[in-house]
Amino acid sequence: MRLTRRCSLLALVLVVSVLAACSSTEERGRNGTGGRASSLRVSGSTTVNPVAADAAEVLRQQGTKITVDASGGSAGGIAQLSAGQVEVAMSSKPLSADDKAMFPSVDFVSTQIGADAVGVVVRREVFDGGVKSLTKEQATRLFEGRLANWKELGGPDLPVFVYDKEPGRGTREVLDKYLYGKEKAPPPPTSDSYAIVGGNEETRAKLLSTPGSAGPLSTSFITGFDKLAVVAIDGIEPTPENVRTAAYPMARPLFLITNGPPTGPAKSFVDFVLGPEGQQLVTKHGYLTIAELGLA
Amino acid sequence: MPLPTAPAALRAPARVRWVPLGTFALAALAVVGVAAVVAFLVIGVRSGPLDWVELLSSSTWDPPRSRFGGAAMIFGTAAVAVVAVALAAPVGWAAAIAIVELAPVRWRRLLRAASELLAVVPSIVYGLIGIAFVRPLVAGAAGVPGGDSLVAAALVLAVMVLPTVVAVSVDALAGVPAPVREAGAACGLTRTEVIRSVVLPAARRGMGAGLLLGLARALGETIAVFLVVGRADGRFPTSPGDVLTRLVRPGQTLTTKLNGPESILAGTAGGHWAALCGLGLLLLGAVAALTVIGQRRAGVEGAGRRRRRPTRRSVGGGMGRRSWPGVGRVARDRLVRAGLSCALAANLLLVVAISVVVLTRGAAALRPGFWWSPSVGASGGGIRDQLVGTALVVGVAGVLAAPVGLGLGLVMTEYAGPGLSRWLRTLTLTLGGMPSILLGLWGYWLFSIRLGWGRSWLTGSILLAAVAIPPVVIAVASSVAALPKERREAALACGLRRDQLVRSVIVPQALPGLVTGTLLGLARAAGETAPLLFTAAVFSGAPALPSGIRDSPVSALSTHIFTLAQDSAEPGAAHTAWGAALALVVVAGALVLAAVPARRRMERNR
Repeated sequence: MRLTRRCSLLALVLVVSVLAACSSTEERGRNGTGGRASSLRVSGSTTVNPVAADAAEVLRQQGTKITVDASGGSAGGIAQLSAGQVEVAMSSKPLSADDKAMFPSVDFVSTQIGADAVGVVVRREVFDGGVKSLTKEQATRLFEGRLANWKELGGPDLPVFVYDKEPGRGTREVLDKYLYGKEKAPPPPTSDSYAIVGGNEETRAKLLSTPGSAGPLSTSFITGFDKLAVVAIDGIEPTPENVRTAAYPMARPLFLITNGPPTGPAKSFVDFVLGPEGQQLVTKHGYLTIAELGLA
Repeated sequence: MPLPTAPAALRAPARVRWVPLGTFALAALAVVGVAAVVAFLVIGVRSGPLDWVELLSSSTWDPPRSRFGGAAMIFGTAAVAVVAVALAAPVGWAAAIAIVELAPVRWRRLLRAASELLAVVPSIVYGLIGIAFVRPLVAGAAGVPGGDSLVAAALVLAVMVLPTVVAVSVDALAGVPAPVREAGAACGLTRTEVIRSVVLPAARRGMGAGLLLGLARALGETIAVFLVVGRADGRFPTSPGDVLTRLVRPGQTLTTKLNGPESILAGTAGGHWAALCGLGLLLLGAVAALTVIGQRRAGVEGAGRRRRRPTRRSVGGGMGRRSWPGVGRVARDRLVRAGLSCALAANLLLVVAISVVVLTRGAAALRPGFWWSPSVGASGGGIRDQLVGTALVVGVAGVLAAPVGLGLGLVMTEYAGPGLSRWLRTLTLTLGGMPSILLGLWGYWLFSIRLGWGRSWLTGSILLAAVAIPPVVIAVASSVAALPKERREAALACGLRRDQLVRSVIVPQALPGLVTGTLLGLARAAGETAPLLFTAAVFSGAPALPSGIRDSPVSALSTHIFTLAQDSAEPGAAHTAWGAALALVVVAGALVLAAVPARRRMERNR
């Protein structure tokens, strides 16, 4: 009996305290202008994520509260920014007309923090076997599943397996834009030698585990992985120089996107990434800095 | 108002209005919760144009062109669940027969508990096992690059479904009265013949329920399937022969589609969102129907009420018909018994193998520092913050689930008439079988978007409370049902009104059940991943303890493992993921283990 009373009392106290906590934060959120002065939420592209995560680590030690999440890729970040769930979206592709049409009320402001190249990454044995460059037409055949064997491109006698990124990933959009321009990409091929992957780490893991495979991947993600190689596009290699001059067709800027010009903690975050320390992180992860691009 | 100590003072306790009011309010909360999930899906479906015919029949899923055909996903779900149950049911049934009919009585409880250990392992850990072992196996055997395939998902699910089949079947077999067996044996039947012609006909209904409940579990599972099924949409088979080919290819199930990035990309209105909600409704309908039918069949009242008429399968009839020529009855008896024991051994071997794998791979967690150091960068460090986050979310979930579960349990057993009571039971079972991704999406839509909480630990607690409530209700109800009739009569004879009876007799009686049910429910909740992914957890940067409700995410063990398992190729990430997995198993296991002595102690003190 006494136990019952004690238990119910305890439960009551806990429930009440939770409710109290609820209402008190409600009020804080409503009254405090700007509400969350020292807290920042960042989400989006897995390509930009390593830089943002490292930058957040440094800022966190200085007392800023920053959460970084990479769910859903670039489009996921943009959607969450538009829904007011994050203050900064990471994107590995420029905003498209579709993005702006989908969220007409949002004032997207993109700040470029560096650049990178999407490479058509193949296995070393394919590269060494003779597939060192692809034309646009050949790349289209490859990603539409109309290529059965690397022999057809003068490579080794090895079946082709294609990994494409899932819709909404920045890498996929950059590739589609190169292959199809303003046209919509066709639906994914129904070939059995075709699979879909998500983030960059997952893409790399899949390429590493599948002989004869190819897939679009940020070129910096294969540094140090001898089993993988990047083929040139139309004979142009994704060297830093070719990315800078945009001679390489799948060079892409990397962005931090805000709703309106960045203010408060979002501004200090963007400024930090653009500053010397942040730009060092951009180099560390294999991307081109603003200075290297001649934009600074 | 001083609360009287009834027996000593020899007067009835004062009337307590808050008892019925409180219990009804709490029970109503649970009812509203379930209704809200259904309402959310219906609102979602109505938020945009949705062509149901296309959704059910076309297999072209192409959001940019607004084509939403879900046939490939429906096929994926059905194929995965059917293959999983087809693999698990025979082994589970045989193992259950071996436990109840062949094993010595004193081992029975131990064997049953051992085979149920598989149910304690959270689904995210099964996902890791799938990535580490099943995917390479499928890749090698079927030549599928990477091994992502429907069949890999089915294999993982088969193991996850096994404890359900065993537990329900053991209950059904144990419910067959011993004299029936003795009568059979006295007729000169061998052990096997007794099982086949006497025990199985009586237990068949319950064992079939095991299959249905296993199927429901397989349909609703999200995370383990997500990690091994691949990301491509898959296709609907073009011919019967194509079915096998489709099985060894990547595909999607209804749950993995909803757990994918599209749920975030679709916005919360419009054709895309409506199509996703349509898939959700289909899933909920299928799982709820199977769960309710299965539980009805498994329930004692069901087995007793409808007795099957004796058929030819009953005593004698089946015996001669299927005798194997050339094999004597005794030899045959031995053969079948050996087969049954093998199934049980396979089941136990699976338990041992999984324990060994989790222990050896999770070596990181054997280092104490791993538990209390924070994580560093993408995959290094320990799991301190994740542990604290999980404890917070799960702890508050327990605080929410216990009173609501108690209220619902009391209304169900004490206040409701038979009709309402049956209805509430169905509701509880539906909630218990609800695919956790649907809870996650509901929380995302309602709390994150509509109420503007963003990612909040409290959303996570509320959703996990929904996961924990059904075990609480069921435990409370069975505790109350165990109240001796004499005590109730004695209380009524003392002149107690119903609310007084509830407060002074029923609630104390229900307490041990409340505590065990809550602990078991929380063990389940601790391992849940899908409800937290969109609503409560972020990968890095969340403070160990949130300071408010809105935009106050936490890190959780399960989501941490999910991210490490999916988005990382570094060996360090796998090491940390397995370490965290062992920690999660330890947490869930500790909650389950705590339930047993807690119950015993409270029952003694009553």
